[in-house]
Amino acid sequence: MDGYLITILSNIGMVSFVALSAYILLLSGQISFGQQAYFGIGAYVAGIATVMWQWPLAGALLFGSLAAGAAAGLVGLATLRLSGIYFAMATLAFAEIMRIAAELFVYRRDIGGIESGPDGVDGFRDIRYFFANEFSPLETCLIVYALLATVLAILCIIERTRAGRMLRQIGEDPLLAEVHGINVMSVRMIAALAAGAVAGLGGGLYAHLMTYVEPKSFDIMLGVHALAYGLIGGLGTAFGPILGVLIDIGLLESTRIFHGYRMIVFGGLVAVLLIVRPRGLLDEVAVSRIRRALRRRRDAGD
Amino acid sequence: MLELANLSKHFGGVRAVDSLNLKIEPGQIFGLIGPNGSGKSTTVNLITGLLDVTHGSITLAGEEITRLPTHVRLSSGIARTFQNIRLFGQLTVWQNLWVAENARAQRERTNFFSRWMGGDRGARARITRALEFSGLADKADELAANLAFGEQRRLELARALAAEPKLLLLDEPAAGMNPEEIGALDDRIRQIRDSGITVLLIEHHMELIMAIADRIAVLNFGQKIAEGTPAEVQAHPAVREAYLGTAG
Repeated sequence: MDGYLITILSNIGMVSFVALSAYILLLSGQISFGQQAYFGIGAYVAGIATVMWQWPLAGALLFGSLAAGAAAGLVGLATLRLSGIYFAMATLAFAEIMRIAAELFVYRRDIGGIESGPDGVDGFRDIRYFFANEFSPLETCLIVYALLATVLAILCIIERTRAGRMLRQIGEDPLLAEVHGINVMSVRMIAALAAGAVAGLGGGLYAHLMTYVEPKSFDIMLGVHALAYGLIGGLGTAFGPILGVLIDIGLLESTRIFHGYRMIVFGGLVAVLLIVRPRGLLDEVAVSRIRRALRRRRDAGD
Repeated sequence: MLELANLSKHFGGVRAVDSLNLKIEPGQIFGLIGPNGSGKSTTVNLITGLLDVTHGSITLAGEEITRLPTHVRLSSGIARTFQNIRLFGQLTVWQNLWVAENARAQRERTNFFSRWMGGDRGARARITRALEFSGLADKADELAANLAFGEQRRLELARALAAEPKLLLLDEPAAGMNPEEIGALDDRIRQIRDSGITVLLIEHHMELIMAIADRIAVLNFGQKIAEGTPAEVQAHPAVREAYLGTAG
């Protein structure tokens, strides 16, 4: 495989984590414009762990993910009682606070003769774990997809359990869910924690694959895209947001067919889909139709 | 079964429910009537916890539930339907009924894992039964939003029953129904009572409520103005005044 293709695939994989993060909250009926903050927290924390503390990659990714989840929990305590536009505003405000805090964050130390660490607006450079340990781009890409597959598998299993169905019921009508014995606040809190952790994991991978991260890497555009991926790809299954990422990065960005006009095409696509298919291409109806077709084919095959 | 003592709900200066005392015996169909804006729906929202009580207390089967959060009340045995039908429109009929199974899980299962992850084994049989009782067996895979109006009402009732409540609150179940459907509803509500569930029925349709209620309370401006058997209530002068204006 050539380097360009591997880079595109890695990008798709990493952005998918943020898309899934926004998707989890969309299922619970909350629109967050702030999932990029947890991506950023995961990136900085995991980067600091490997560079400054010499942690192994697995531990650093896990720690970054947990830190992002914890931050999401704290933000959740303050914001989850809000709904609709108020929740969206509060999450966006928090994400901007985090981005600006990252611009002010300086933590430099001498590591092996080179001064490294986050350096305010200049960001955090030389996160050389993969380089130092001689991973090839293909291997790092495989690491991204192994982790993405794990997260996807867990999400697909959870969606079929009581907890997953409760999440969808809350998303559709929180009051009705409450009347049916569902503790809406605690389910939303669990969703927020999980969403933060998933975004943080993606951030940790991003920092190591790109070898640097800067406050700009997690500005509002990342959050807006993350939301749009679920809305384009569909909210009927966890594969929906991944499809959204594929369409945007895989088709629009990487082939450069709409070079220079990509954001116009992307915005138009979102607008058209919101009108004709408000819950995305793979919405609940499409998913149940596909499931039925698969079942029929399997039965016919027996 | 249900006792409201001195129950009040004030919205600013408006007393939507004002020192209401009610006692509903187990196994009754208890009717709650009154002109528009007399506080009937507010009372139901207080009982289900969707509104906070200003004063007074609510007791269910000897247990005070005045301050319990809404989601706990269903597992303690209260189920309701809504005046304007409320279904999970984008879920199928089957999935809508499955929601009620959740209440059972919260009530019966103490183990964290089975509470959140538990599957459908026992639920399948119960949901099938609920589908048959409500005559929706062939619609299990339809989206609730695509059902006809009457079917949606039946589904809402089936869902409330699937939670196996002790007390069922019906908020205007006959609204928008034709006489034939009302006749069927009449039978169904009696069946529900005969199966041991206490029913609190709010209704504008006088014929229905006079025919099936064991006891009726009449509200006006948030206060109870009369209570008794259907015959007693019909003869009560305050009720005639509230409904027809001052007698000429």
